[in-house]
This record gives sequence, C-alpha cells and structure tokens, in this order.
Amino acid sequence: MDLKPNFERLKKAVKHVEPDRVPLCEVLIEYPIQSRFLGREVTPDDLQAQVEFWAKAGYDFIPLTVGMMSPGRVTQESAISQVIRDTMLRDSPEADQDDKSWNLEYTSFIHTREDFEKFPWELAGNLDFSKLEQVASVLPEGMQVIAVSGKIFTLTWMLMGFNHFAMSLILDEQLVADVFRQVAEIQLKALEKILDMPHVGALWVVDDLAFGTGPMISVEAFRDHVFPWYREMASRCHERGLFFCMHSDGDLTKLIPDLIDMGLDLLQPIDPTCSDIFDVKRKYGDKLCLVGNVSNELLRAGAPSEVEATVKELIARLAPGGGYCVGSGNSVPDWADFDNYMAMRTAALKYGSYPINL
Amino acid sequence: MSNIMDRIKTAVEDRKRNEIQNLVNEAIVEGIPAETIINEALIAAMDVVGRRFSSGEIFVPEMLVSALTMKMGLDIVKPLLVGSEGASRGTILMGTVKGDLHDIGKNIVIMMLEGAGFNVVDLGVDATVEKVVDKVEEFKPEILGLSALLTTTMPEMQNVIQVLKERGLRDKVKVMVGGAPVDTKFAEKIGADGYGEDAAQAVELARSFVS
Repeated sequence: MDLKPNFERLKKAVKHVEPDRVPLCEVLIEYPIQSRFLGREVTPDDLQAQVEFWAKAGYDFIPLTVGMMSPGRVTQESAISQVIRDTMLRDSPEADQDDKSWNLEYTSFIHTREDFEKFPWELAGNLDFSKLEQVASVLPEGMQVIAVSGKIFTLTWMLMGFNHFAMSLILDEQLVADVFRQVAEIQLKALEKILDMPHVGALWVVDDLAFGTGPMISVEAFRDHVFPWYREMASRCHERGLFFCMHSDGDLTKLIPDLIDMGLDLLQPIDPTCSDIFDVKRKYGDKLCLVGNVSNELLRAGAPSEVEATVKELIARLAPGGGYCVGSGNSVPDWADFDNYMAMRTAALKYGSYPINL
Repeated sequence: MSNIMDRIKTAVEDRKRNEIQNLVNEAIVEGIPAETIINEALIAAMDVVGRRFSSGEIFVPEMLVSALTMKMGLDIVKPLLVGSEGASRGTILMGTVKGDLHDIGKNIVIMMLEGAGFNVVDLGVDATVEKVVDKVEEFKPEILGLSALLTTTMPEMQNVIQVLKERGLRDKVKVMVGGAPVDTKFAEKIGADGYGEDAAQAVELARSFVS
C-alpha cells in the first residue's frame, strides 16, 4: 500500500477516476490526535510536524486555514475576534476585562446600518498568509495544500447574531446583503492571493448551511445572498486548475442541486446524523466527489471493529469508479478515541485498493 | 370564526407586521374577548407556523418574524386580560449545558415558547449543573429545557437530572431536552420527561406538561 502523498490520487477521485487507492480526507484533525500518531507533540505553530503527520498518516494534502476565522474556527484567538478586540480597546481600555464583550463566540456586533458602517472591515480584511507561504518549503514531493478559506454564511450570521440575522433577512434585507458582500469581498481578495500559490491544489470552504432538519434559511435566500459568491469562488478556482470543496453539517438534501450547479467538486462530510450517503451517492454521485460519513459518535464511543465494518461498507458501496474518500462524519476532534481513528485509517488502507472487490 | 379572527391569523402566518396591531384593535372593538383573540387567533396562527416550519415549508427567518408579528399583537391585547387570564401558561428555564456554546436552536425554541404564552428565563450557554439547579430552586419553573449540540456535552444533561434528584427538586419540574445529537432514546435513558426534535415539537411538549 503506497502511503506516499500524491495529490494526483485525490484529484483522480474527485474526477471520478479510480486512483491506486481510496484517498483519506479530512478538513481538520486536532493536534492531540496528530501528536499521538507521531509520538511527539504537534503544536499549532509547528508546521513541519503538521506536514509530517498528514504525510505519514497517508493523506495527499495538508489543510491550512487562512481567513477571518483563522486559525480554524471562531474562538477567542481567531483573527476576527482579535480585530474586534483591538477596535474595542481603542474606544475603551476596560473592554478587555470581559472577553465575552469582544469574542464573536459569545456576542455579535452588526445590528444596525450604523454598526455596519463603523465595523473595522479594512482591519478584518488584513489576513495572515504566513503559514500558507511557509509551508511550501516543507512539503514533501507529491503533497499539496488545500486552503481552508471562503467562509461567508457562518461569518455573516455570527457578526449579526443568528436570530437578528434571520429576522433581518426579512426585515432589513439590504443590511444582510451588504454584510454578505463585505465578508465575501474579503474572502475573494484572499482567494486571489491563495490562487497565486502553486503549492495550493484546492479551496475548501467550511460553512455550515443546514441544521439536521434542513437548510438554516430558505433555498431562495441562499440563492440570493450566498450561492453567487460561492459560484464566483468555484469559477476562479476552476480557471486556475484547482478544485472547489465544501464542508457543511446538516441535511443538505435541498441544497445539493444548487451546490452542484455553482461548480462544487467535493462535498464533506455528508453528515451521518441526518443524511443517507448512499442515497446522496445514488442521486448525485456522478457529479460530486463525496467525502467522509464515518460517524463521530462511532469514533468517540464505538469499537474499532465497528469502525472497520463501517469503513468497509462505505468503500464497497461508494468507492468503485472513484468519487469517494474515507473520512470522519465531521472532523477528527480531540475527543475521538485514538484507536478508532486508527481503525478508520487502517481500514481505508486495507480495503481501499483499486479495483475494489469487497 | 369571525372574519377578523381569520385576518389576524393570516397576518401572523404571513408576517404582516404593519397590519397586526390594527387588526387586533379591530377585534377588540368588535367585542371579541382578549383571551379568545390570543388563543384562537394569535397562538393558533403560531401553531400553523410551527407546523409549516417542521414540514420544511418555511425556515427560521420566516418563523421568527411570524413570532415577532404575534408578539406585536399580543402587546395590544395583553393589557386587557383580567385576573388569572393574564397569567402565563407557566415558567420555563432554558439553557445550553456546560461546555457547549451553541445557542441557535435554544434561542429559536425560546421565541416559540414565548409566542405560545410561556414565561421563559434564558440561562444562556455553558450553564453549569450548579447554576441550572440553583436557578430551578430560585424560579420554581414548571419546566426546565436543556440544549446541547455536542455528543461530548450531552452527559451534562444527565448530571443536571442527577443533582435535581439529590436536592429534592426532580419531582417539582418537568425536564425536556433537545439539540442535534439528542433523541427520544437518550431522553428516556437519562430520565428526562421528553424530547423535542424542533421548536414546534418543543412547544407541543411544553403544553402537554402544563395541561
């Protein structure tokens, strides 16, 4: 079994061509899992160790986040929270006494036109590309980077607060449209820099669009405010030979036709808590590469033998002809059982050789 | 049902915020009792809205603006209620459990419960077992609603129920649970009184507890 990174392997799977084996694919594996695998600590700043993990574990790429959510999601440390904190500190030195006052995880900032006008968009758009640039020098042959960037929907509602965002979609649609535009323009500007980096092979937008019961807003509202920006991203990626990936939790059944139409190449993780990946494969498998679906609950509390059986079934039913990569049902969090993570990886390597005969 | 009651219902269902207060005033002038306007028009309309949401016909924005419209109508008619008619259907404490910062679902459920006539106290996110149980002791609610999005924080729901038992409060409050990873089986396993898959189901459940 060839463990050497080979981005062409992933590209073939995305194009529905059978590579040598079914690729492994995750948008995020938390550092404690990486550390346990390598037998030494992997930290957020240690790019070399991160690359070593992704390569040795059998992945053909390393996902690296660049954008307002950097280092990966909205936390106290994320770029957007720091911008808000710095801005608030300028107005009031006391702002730092309560981190919930500026942490986007706890609060929101754009409720009115005035809030929108005074928001520090320029600062927020000043993104850090250093890791994405530095990684080029430590990538092994055959390995590429997938830039995790382009989040628009989540960032917009977080800036506005979900309930306020949702009601404004009806009561003040222009304000919502303007916030979407500002966020999207920042992300598109970032994409231009990303596309200039030859070691980047794809863009991965991590943007949750749905609840377990269906879309978070109507399909029409997505068409009006969100999908045109994704379409633009997909188009720019395709012009430069990159493919366009998305991660979204929830039941995407009503959205998938639009996602395909706007140029999506790869969809992850086909949320196993509310979606039937075999049904998605039957309906859209010839147009989309599907990734993941190994339940995180199984990774947390299942037995390695159950994980192996799940991966075997997924490969048997989804991988023939390409268009499927093995991965978790969301990401690999630090609370996943390490033995189960290893069981998923081992099963992918054991059963994933083409041609599939299971 | 009179024409004006139908028009109030339609205004809530179709989110006609500019019309609702005039329509409710019209119903009052017609002599329709305040409680009838609330129960048979405003709350009845939100039941329709809840069903449309559950069936995927409408989405969160539409549901929230209907709830807002309903509240605008309620503001007009509520001062006319006399005595016990003005009392809420009951008090509900709602919180997202410790370690979990997700509150979209909880906040939607709160708006719908308020729309259904409940008095809701929001305990926010990352609510510790001690905080939740202390607040149950303080507010003496009819219902406690617990939310979690993460499988790792779900056990906190069981911890809350355990401490409610230890402090002799379990029999005094109904516990309902919800959130993406939660289901009826889990609710039964931890000894909760019920599970709501979405906001509309949560309202139904809360009503069944106080009926």
